[in-house]
Amino acid sequence: MTGRIAIADGDADSGAIAAFERDRRDLLRRGFALGGAAIAASSVPLLLSVRNAFAQTSGDAEILQKAINLEQVAVIVYDAALAGGLLTSAVTRIARRLRAHEQQHADALTTALTDLGGTPSAAPKGVADVEKVVKGLGDVRTQGDLVSFAIELETAAVAAYHEAHAKLVETRLLQTGASIMASEGQHLVVLRRLVHKDPVPNAFETGTT
Amino acid sequence: MDPYTETGMDIDRFLRDPQSRRRFFERSGVLVGAAGGSAMFLAACGDSATTPNAATGPDESDQADVEILNGALDLELMAVAAYKAGAGRLEGRMLEVVKRFLEQEQAHADGLAAAIKDAGGQPNRAKSSYDFPAMRDQTDVLRFAVDLENTAIAAYIDALPKLTQGDLRATAASIITNEAEHVAVLLEALGENPMPSAFVTGKAT
Repeated sequence: MTGRIAIADGDADSGAIAAFERDRRDLLRRGFALGGAAIAASSVPLLLSVRNAFAQTSGDAEILQKAINLEQVAVIVYDAALAGGLLTSAVTRIARRLRAHEQQHADALTTALTDLGGTPSAAPKGVADVEKVVKGLGDVRTQGDLVSFAIELETAAVAAYHEAHAKLVETRLLQTGASIMASEGQHLVVLRRLVHKDPVPNAFETGTT
Repeated sequence: MDPYTETGMDIDRFLRDPQSRRRFFERSGVLVGAAGGSAMFLAACGDSATTPNAATGPDESDQADVEILNGALDLELMAVAAYKAGAGRLEGRMLEVVKRFLEQEQAHADGLAAAIKDAGGQPNRAKSSYDFPAMRDQTDVLRFAVDLENTAIAAYIDALPKLTQGDLRATAASIITNEAEHVAVLLEALGENPMPSAFVTGKAT
């Protein structure tokens, strides 16, 4: 197996690219820890400039970073919700579970990013970072406000994952992403029911309203 | 038409015993294999880690997508039939909920059929009958629906990376999420935790 393959832009030898791609996938399948990350990080961008159809590792990493940020923002929101004293005991239990899920999502995505050779950016820290995703956390006055805010946040997450699925290429990332997006959908069901909204309004849950 | 198809199988055992439920799905051709993938999709797609490469022309990509989409369509059509069969055992709010789910499964089926035609393929049709287990009451219906939805989620997640078109992958993800929402509603109606895992894979955790 060749570790690197250099192909100029323009006329590419599609057979050589395909062979390289098979080798690379085989390597990735057998485990990032064995050096797959190094291969992916160092060589794949050369292919990318030639054919967009290939695994765009740098693109996948960028999408992962956005998703990690989103999940960390969600953790901040649920932390704020739990600290705010607005929740009944039943809703507190739900918020704890939601927070735990978002943390698990962030952890899994961070591991995936590291496996790809990426380094996670600094984690968002406070309300100012939340405002970049969904505005209005500071205006929350009641449990209902908070649930509605959480619905907006989870909907934004679903939209981000939906969009990401058109761009992600790596098999494992697509599958992990789908299992997380589906989890956000289940969060939406629970949150919508808390404010007496239709729990499953869309046959295609794309996060667009 | 009698919406029920009696199978003569031991429904109590079916509902209690995951192995028994598993055998139903094996017989139905939607085997959830040891790794959780749908055998149908695996058969259609060959090497599970293979995605399209430069050697695959547009026609081959379309053909691969058509086979995957038809596998998904088969599952959606089965879900439509299952919800029709189950609706006869429901009333009140749960009947309304299941009618909604039925409409959404039909919307998935319609969307898949359109995508298959767009890719130059011929959409599969519903079978004339399905060999569902007997559903005697609301709990039977809801349990069976949870199994069906989870089977669909696992199959879609298995198939997702094999779709060559980005917009199809995004649509598949939006369908998976809707099926996961169905599972949450069904689990809650059964008195269970509606969101038992941070990663919804359709497999037992």
